[in-house]
Amino acid sequence: MRTICIGCVRISQNNLELGVPPFANPSENLARFNKDENGREIKIKFDHGTTTLGFMYQGGVVLAVDSRATGGQFIGSQTMKKIVEINDFLLGTLAGGAADCVYWDRVLAKQCRMYELRNRERISVAAASKLMANMVYNYKGMGLSMGMMLAGWDKRGPQLYYVDSEGTRTPGKVFSVGSGSIYAFGVLDSGYKWDLKDEEAYDLGRRSIYHATHRDAYSGGIVRVYHMTANGWKHIDNNDCNDLHYKFQEEKEDLGKYNTIISYLCALF
Amino acid sequence: MSSVLCPEIPASGFSFENCRRNTLLETKGFAVPKATKTGTTIVGITYKDGVILGADTRATEDTTVADKNCEKIHYLAPNMYCCGAGTAADTEMTTQMISSQLELHKLYTNRVCRVATANQMLKQYLFRYQGYIGAALILGGVDVDGPHLYQIYPHGSSDQLPYVTMGSGSLAAMAVFEAGWKRDLEEEDGIKLVRDAIAAGVFNDLGSGSNIDVCIIRKGSTDL
Amino acid sequence: MVAMKGENCVSIAADRRFGIQAQTIATDFQKIFQMGPHLYVGLPGLATDTQTVMEKLRFRKNLYELKENRMMSPKVFSAMLSNMLYEKRFGPFFVEPVVAGLDPKTHEPFICNMDLIGCINLPNDFVVGGTASAQLYGMCEALWEPNLGPDDLFETTSQALLNAFDRDAISGWGATVYIIEKDKVTIRNLKTRMD
Repeated sequence: MRTICIGCVRISQNNLELGVPPFANPSENLARFNKDENGREIKIKFDHGTTTLGFMYQGGVVLAVDSRATGGQFIGSQTMKKIVEINDFLLGTLAGGAADCVYWDRVLAKQCRMYELRNRERISVAAASKLMANMVYNYKGMGLSMGMMLAGWDKRGPQLYYVDSEGTRTPGKVFSVGSGSIYAFGVLDSGYKWDLKDEEAYDLGRRSIYHATHRDAYSGGIVRVYHMTANGWKHIDNNDCNDLHYKFQEEKEDLGKYNTIISYLCALF
Repeated sequence: MSSVLCPEIPASGFSFENCRRNTLLETKGFAVPKATKTGTTIVGITYKDGVILGADTRATEDTTVADKNCEKIHYLAPNMYCCGAGTAADTEMTTQMISSQLELHKLYTNRVCRVATANQMLKQYLFRYQGYIGAALILGGVDVDGPHLYQIYPHGSSDQLPYVTMGSGSLAAMAVFEAGWKRDLEEEDGIKLVRDAIAAGVFNDLGSGSNIDVCIIRKGSTDL
Repeated sequence: MVAMKGENCVSIAADRRFGIQAQTIATDFQKIFQMGPHLYVGLPGLATDTQTVMEKLRFRKNLYELKENRMMSPKVFSAMLSNMLYEKRFGPFFVEPVVAGLDPKTHEPFICNMDLIGCINLPNDFVVGGTASAQLYGMCEALWEPNLGPDDLFETTSQALLNAFDRDAISGWGATVYIIEKDKVTIRNLKTRMD
């Protein structure tokens, strides 16, 4: 039988377990601590708000993320790394509580390495994502908040999984996670094809994130693009949203000029 | 009949037309802006020939210092001043309104207003709003009966006392008065005592700070 | 939203975002309104109230000027606005107004701000309002100095505004700066980050 104890002793021995208060049913009772004596919500402001996306295409998997970390309305960082390099063939993206994501990604990295040492082969993405899903499922309802994508390349080829703190784990071709995901999906879905060339795929990822940062207040900063290939992941580039905005705006104006010339020529003939 | 050129004269007093909308917005999660509070130390004492009022000058909005040098000693009449603590807009508007009523009263009766009159007007006004107008006041003045000092709570009760403190720094200030106040103080000692009391408030209460305003009301003259 | 005093001039500046919580709807929203040749008011807050209050103010100010046959001074304007807001003490408009202008006769600089129920604050350096106000307080305390000329005032105001936005998620997306001098008003749109 499992006993519940204040976790500090346990934690130092086993980092798969978080400290849990010493009473029964923490998932029910913890929620009560979120209100003060006047019934007002105690705001535990932690870093939140993100746009991340990942999609599979003929050349592998592309991941693109923004880099803004906010606590409430306050911008805590504009240069956060929201893609975690778990190993050479496995990448994870962060969305939701920054601390939750970073901690559990670190635990996952350890688990994956242990697997590699024990079995003399790399862990499959399916197995890694299942490890993650099982770990966070133990804390369901206790306030963990994370939505992550795992991208990798294993024996069975390129893989993309979505895992979140509710316990969902699902493979798929196109995902976007975070507060700006609705905006990113708009661009991503309209431009997505399986037969994209590499450069086109990077550009699609970049544009989707850029447009999300423009509309979503809690996304912004730098757009980072990664590519998962048969030889491991490649970091493509980092672009400041500010530069992207004025670049895209110029393109739009050029296109406008081009269109007026075309319509002028059409009118001539 | 009302039109754009001849608009209907609206009823005077408060308007409650946004209330329902605002509660709805609040329940839907709209972050309501906070009103400025004074977060104050205000004090008053009587001395040999009059009244001395004192106040700090910090106005706060939640934890932000909104105004570093605001005036909390409000004019009521030439022989009467009033310190205000609580919601800044309430103290300001309440004293302005009573001040104008006192001026009219003075013109009507051709006499210098009594402090008791102002006290009665203030407490009746505040009682009418059952504490929803967040104004805690110290009223001081000199009239035909000599110096008077009142403290008035937001709910409309009042006390007449020889030395009073109010606001978030009132406990620290009262400690100074309990130790140092005597009957028939000299003016200089009185000013010093008031200054020390406010300073105690400024040092021991985070809601109070900045400078110290002192107002001396004697028979026939006032110094701010 | 920020307003600053300078040497014979004042500035008032705000961002141009209109959004519903995290969602940015438009990036050309006006929060600063001209109320006279040298009188501007900024109304950050709930967009519907921004416009309602602006229209009420314009109506009352026009009526005053027709009745009295003289210009309304910033001081009178602020008192009018303060009383208008306090009338709704128990059901306020969600705006935190900032007033900036020059006196029509003496051309003396005037700035003030209020809370949502009309408590006037009259400092002699700068005032701020809106969601990035905490950040703006910090920037202004560091950058503002007495007797700035119009060009320096523009630079100070713009820098304070832009750097405050960079730490507030729901401000930004373009900015407008007004520099109000005795014989001219300069309006500039700033190029800002758009995320």
